Amino acid sequence: MNKLSRLGAALALAVSAAAPAFAAELTFWSWRQEDRAAYQEIIADFNKLHPDVKIKFEAFEPTSYNTILSTALAGGKGPDLIQARAYGGLEAFAKPGYFLALDKATVPELDNFAPDVLAAETMREDGKVYAVPFATQTVLILYNKEIFQKNGVNPPENWDDMIAAAKALKAKGVMPFANGTATAWQNEILMGAFTPSIYGPAFNSDLVAGKATFEDKRFVDALGKLVELKEHLPQGFTGVDYPTMQQLFISGRAAMIAAGSFEIANFRKQNPKLEIGVIPGPAAAKGGPRLVSLFVDGGYAINAKTEHKADAIKFIRYVATPRFGELFSARLGNISPIKGVKIEDGLLADVAKLNASSAPYVMLVNFRYQEPTGSMLIQSGVQKMMAGQATPAEVGSEVTKGIAAYHKPFQK
Amino acid sequence: MLKPWQAALYQALLLMTTLVMLYPVVVMVLSAFKSTGEIYDSPFALPDSFALKNLATIWRETRFLAYLGNSLLVTASSIALMLASGTLAAYAIARYAFRGNEAIFLFFLAGLMVPLKLAVIPLFIELRALGLIDNRLGLVLVYAAMGLPSTVFIMTGFLRTIPAELEEAARIDGASEGRILLRIMLPLSRPALVIAGIHNAVPIWNDFFFPLVLIQSDHAKTLPQGLTVFMGEYSTDWGVLFAGLTLSALPLTLIYIALSRQFIAGLTSGAVKG
Amino acid sequence: MSPRLRRSLWIALLLTPALLLIVAFVTLPILSAFVYAFYKWQGLARVGFAGFDNFRLILFQPPFSTWTYNAFFHNVIVFVALMVVQNGTAFFLAWMLSKGLRLHRFHQVSLFLPVILSTVIIGFLWKLFLNPLFGLVNRTLIAIGLDSWAQPWLGQPSTALASLIVVNAWHWVGFPTLVYLAAMQRIPREILESAEIDGAGEWTRLRRIVWPLVAPATTIVVMLTFIGSFNWFELPYIMSGLEGPPFHSTDVLGLYFYRTAFGTVSAGLQDFGRGSALAVLIFLFILGISAWWVRLLRRREIDL
Repeated sequence: MNKLSRLGAALALAVSAAAPAFAAELTFWSWRQEDRAAYQEIIADFNKLHPDVKIKFEAFEPTSYNTILSTALAGGKGPDLIQARAYGGLEAFAKPGYFLALDKATVPELDNFAPDVLAAETMREDGKVYAVPFATQTVLILYNKEIFQKNGVNPPENWDDMIAAAKALKAKGVMPFANGTATAWQNEILMGAFTPSIYGPAFNSDLVAGKATFEDKRFVDALGKLVELKEHLPQGFTGVDYPTMQQLFISGRAAMIAAGSFEIANFRKQNPKLEIGVIPGPAAAKGGPRLVSLFVDGGYAINAKTEHKADAIKFIRYVATPRFGELFSARLGNISPIKGVKIEDGLLADVAKLNASSAPYVMLVNFRYQEPTGSMLIQSGVQKMMAGQATPAEVGSEVTKGIAAYHKPFQK
Repeated sequence: MLKPWQAALYQALLLMTTLVMLYPVVVMVLSAFKSTGEIYDSPFALPDSFALKNLATIWRETRFLAYLGNSLLVTASSIALMLASGTLAAYAIARYAFRGNEAIFLFFLAGLMVPLKLAVIPLFIELRALGLIDNRLGLVLVYAAMGLPSTVFIMTGFLRTIPAELEEAARIDGASEGRILLRIMLPLSRPALVIAGIHNAVPIWNDFFFPLVLIQSDHAKTLPQGLTVFMGEYSTDWGVLFAGLTLSALPLTLIYIALSRQFIAGLTSGAVKG
Repeated sequence: MSPRLRRSLWIALLLTPALLLIVAFVTLPILSAFVYAFYKWQGLARVGFAGFDNFRLILFQPPFSTWTYNAFFHNVIVFVALMVVQNGTAFFLAWMLSKGLRLHRFHQVSLFLPVILSTVIIGFLWKLFLNPLFGLVNRTLIAIGLDSWAQPWLGQPSTALASLIVVNAWHWVGFPTLVYLAAMQRIPREILESAEIDGAGEWTRLRRIVWPLVAPATTIVVMLTFIGSFNWFELPYIMSGLEGPPFHSTDVLGLYFYRTAFGTVSAGLQDFGRGSALAVLIFLFILGISAWWVRLLRRREIDL
């Protein structure tokens, strides 16, 4: 027996010694190719707490990420840890049962999130959370501080201010806005940056309650305001695509850009000298409310079929802690929704402050669950309207009609 | 005979057309050596210097070489598989009388008319079941199958023109069927093999659609698909973009300039008689 | 083994690899598409029988049906425009090349150069050239004093599809040119010469002799352009995007099929059912027209 137990002890020792070398390696998929270095740091930080869990980060092209992921998951394979999207993009994966449901028993850190943030990663049918949110994104207006100062323009607070500022800039030969409408989804960004301040918070709650449609006067009027922007967009803006508008703002040719806060990190990287300021869409009238559009970018999920469930949960619990949130915000320049995260960066702190008065980024949050999606409809609607080929009322009714196909309250 | 003024007019029109065809290519190459600022501010000028900065960026910071390697591997393997299997089938159809001969030939020919792109969903699911999604072998099999109709068409047409005496003489000498195929028919078919090869190799090399759907990992991407990744990453650096386009166009362009006759014959075969 | 059996086995051996490949990767997928179109899909899994529901949505339920007809209409425009712009140009270029003028070989090689390049390269190149602010096209127009001609080419419905068609013609014109050239070179010299002696001018000869005699080449060119136009995907995908912007004015069946089947990041969801139904319809259309065309030609050949 003695011999045997000694052998056992030796074996156990050998196994434990070898453990780090043989430790399971979890794979972690993401669509953020440009964040590879940051994720390596994050994983290194995680390994300070859990040295025994190895994680391999793999990133794919965003446009084919969904296909890649669903292919792998449907084949019963796929990564252990998954960067997932939110809202309809989450449900597409949660519904077929590809993601592990998370609850407060396994991931007590879910308490670190506000309910509306968790809602973005919750399947509506079963009310269960399937991913830990990693960032909120804000749709607002970025401006070039240096250009504003040089031309004696102050950040505008209401619509008339903004038009005056745009005219002043144009008179000095500066392009007021970098935005173009050639890339479909940029039209939704345009809507998200400007319209909530115009239609106000009440419209949104009426919409969700089923008391209002997109034919509502408030929404149509807000769209109408967008049309006024036309003369302050670049010449030939209908042909200005996403990379070109980025380039216009980064290179300092344009003073403002309606954009998502996710651009900030990239803009700074490309032009470190750029001094960026943030403002919400201007108020309809002096002293009126000013709202930014807010949405949850995505979350981290666990493959329901993972062979390393315990280890995967360790990582998921880690990414729900303020420790991760701070590293994430600092390293990736995005705003972590985790409570208690201190944001060091001044500009991001400004964005976080603006988030206090926000409206949901309406199409993504509410109407991107079924075809035809609200996003698809509003993108081509705004594009058409900005090209002068549809009135705001026509866009509103086309969007409403499209969504009515599956949304009861819109059916007359 | 053309009157001199007509000849001059035609020559002028042709020169103009050639200019329209070549000028964009020249601008692309010149822009590859410029900075983004230079492209914006002086689009028509020669670059300030023929520095290789942009090309170096591509070399160092992208997987250009890997994409190129994948394209070579995929194209070469699929052409090899396609020519081998296609020639065997064409040989059976062209040189043996058997029941169903014509039907099999027509079955292959029907493939010429079929837009396989439209079958990409089942293809995708089938390859997934075989574990060949995100796998270069999956691409190779699809391309080889896609190239078979034209290969069988070209090779059958050619093999039918070989006089039967050659074969019969060999048979009288006691050569086996396999030997006749390998030693007599194949060497004679070389020109047709080149035509069928080029006819399919260029579209395969250039294909974007099937990799877009079937290949996902960066390391397995072919050149056209890799180019889209790259164009997305460097979207605001036009100098690097043009350099990427130039480098991607370079391999085939060089071969084309050297072998333009074969290329033209190969690509237009089937559309051009004789 | 009897020699007969040996021979049969040998023939089977020769045919098997090719048949296996084509059945597995061409025939089977195409037949499956027909089956898939009758199912409801969730991601990559079939979740129930749908009957003709997918077809109904695509053909009769707005906005899906609106998109279908809109895209189809654009494919028709592309086909007609390419016939005129690309193949018409090709016919005249071939005629000029057939004269054997000095440099004709150089012209041929230059014309055909874009044909060998990937659509991805061509698409990106022209997308950069057509950029409204920094692109070569507008810069050239401004440089030669035609400022008012400078346009956001890809950004307005009046020019977006036309721009794509012109780029496509630039890319492919060498192909029909050389097809026509080969056909023209087969016309016996005596016919053209005797017509010239009879006093027929260039134009008359082109119209009365060359055009009818290159009819087989025209058939092939029309056929290839037709299949190409209804399969159009890469160029609009690269140059305008999956949604066919601006507001579906460059949308074609290929784009619509792809985004229905595979979804888009910023707007659309994936649906293999509707995607397959769309594929089946496009497929039947192409096949139907092709079969009709071939029959028509056969009949005409008999008449001749």
